[in-house]
Amino acid sequence: METLGIYVPRLVTRRQSFAPGHRACSGCGEALAVMLVMKALGRNVIVVMSTGCMEIISSQLPYTSWEVPWIHTLFENSAIVASGIEAGMKALRRKGTSLPKTKVVAMGGDGATFDIGFGAISGAFERGHDFIYVCFDNEAYMNTGIQRSSATPFGASTTTQPAGKVSMGQSTWKKNMPAIAVAHDIPYVATASPSYPFDLMNKIKKAVAIEGPTYVHILSVCPTGWRIPTDMTIRLGRLAVETGVFPLYEVEDGKYTLNYDPPRLRPVEDYLKPQGRFRHLTPKMVKKIQQRVSAEYASLKEKAQ
Amino acid sequence: MVELTIDNQRVRVKKGTTILEAADKFNITIPTLCHHENLTPLGSCRLCTVEVIVNGISKLTTACTFPVEQGIEVRTTSQKALEARRLAAELLLAKCPTSAKIKSLAQEIGVAKPRIKVREEDCILCELCVRTCREIVGRQALKFINRGLNQRVEPRIDFSPDMCIGCGSCAYVCPTGAIKMEDKDGTRVVYARNWEKEFKLKKCKVCGNYWAPEEQLEYIRGKLNLPPDFFDVCPNCR
Repeated sequence: METLGIYVPRLVTRRQSFAPGHRACSGCGEALAVMLVMKALGRNVIVVMSTGCMEIISSQLPYTSWEVPWIHTLFENSAIVASGIEAGMKALRRKGTSLPKTKVVAMGGDGATFDIGFGAISGAFERGHDFIYVCFDNEAYMNTGIQRSSATPFGASTTTQPAGKVSMGQSTWKKNMPAIAVAHDIPYVATASPSYPFDLMNKIKKAVAIEGPTYVHILSVCPTGWRIPTDMTIRLGRLAVETGVFPLYEVEDGKYTLNYDPPRLRPVEDYLKPQGRFRHLTPKMVKKIQQRVSAEYASLKEKAQ
Repeated sequence: MVELTIDNQRVRVKKGTTILEAADKFNITIPTLCHHENLTPLGSCRLCTVEVIVNGISKLTTACTFPVEQGIEVRTTSQKALEARRLAAELLLAKCPTSAKIKSLAQEIGVAKPRIKVREEDCILCELCVRTCREIVGRQALKFINRGLNQRVEPRIDFSPDMCIGCGSCAYVCPTGAIKMEDKDGTRVVYARNWEKEFKLKKCKVCGNYWAPEEQLEYIRGKLNLPPDFFDVCPNCR
């Protein structure tokens, strides 16, 4: 991945369909990710969004941040509604209505993707609808008050699994959702982070060009839920990539490409230390996490060769 | 405010906006290639040609460079405009048949194959890189040489090597991929068909990752009067 200094960002379009003035917390990585996604998508899109932080903060009656057709669905059925829209457009085209080239984009948080809407997404991937599923992963149900989801990493303290005398925070490992998407044999799967904006926008543009179901997984840092200062958002997103906790890669028709492969990985401690949700971790647990991260990164690297 | 008609739609826009901006505001899409919203418009690709009727006289013009006037009528999909667009697309396609961007644009406009002889070039002289270097970066490493048929884009780095700072903006903005950039093992190469320049990338003292070309950092440092060791450490480790 090239490091595109300070001049290239001035060439990125200022037009976006996600208006500012929404109610996101200061330092929200997810709002930043949505903004970048909308910049890359352009205007000819229909957005379907599951319940979650983004839906709440961007559509407080009587206001809305969306300058494109936008549908709010329940937690579980954004993939279903997206497939319905796509099938409807296909039927209209078959009957002779001329429609502009429009992409259907389903968006959801990690709760809607990993837990509640999981079956619906799997079904939509399997049926092969032409749509993009974008998952904004902030690793817990942040909107309702930091409850654990199956995206919560090992050891993180949440309000439903708080760290204390009895529990050491989340006791299970994070579900590998991109790998599950790859297992559906869909044409394009990618992971991205708003800390690497050009990489993120390139991946969305790639997904738009591909016909068929595509899945983009975006790690969006949440200062409120991760218990970090609001100015750490971008840095933590970078640290997640540099430590190997969240590697950036893409899978095109089953072929893995590692987009950012540093000469050596930073120790995971660099990533865990600034976060309040990992404050209670003992050196033994950090070692356990390090082993797991190194092993997963090594296996990913093997696949990418 | 200026009142005009675009495709039978009466609209009011601010004085000084171009037809392209006005149309975009009312969701009327006009194909563009050499236009970039952050750069001064040039109108070299002719893909945004529209028919404008001023005082009852019809003429063809590029939407990106034409500022709106009171009472004009703009037709973006008239036969005349579409034909001019098709011709422009055909010429571009003949010049640069392998570029994905031009192929898709031509297909959108309705040109599948050029009728004239195909020339295997990659630069279409849209001047995006030249304008970027001048307006965004504030350098003039790239410029046009010669005029007319022999016109070519040439880097001035051949003449004064310290003009190019290796920021990669030209490679990013190039629609056809004529200018390319590659980072590999601590060096960055910016190259086109007939020129190339290699840059050494700065290594961060703390993490050891390469993060920006040395010449670019030197340029920024000189411009902002920063201390000499300011860029020894990358933004992540600072």
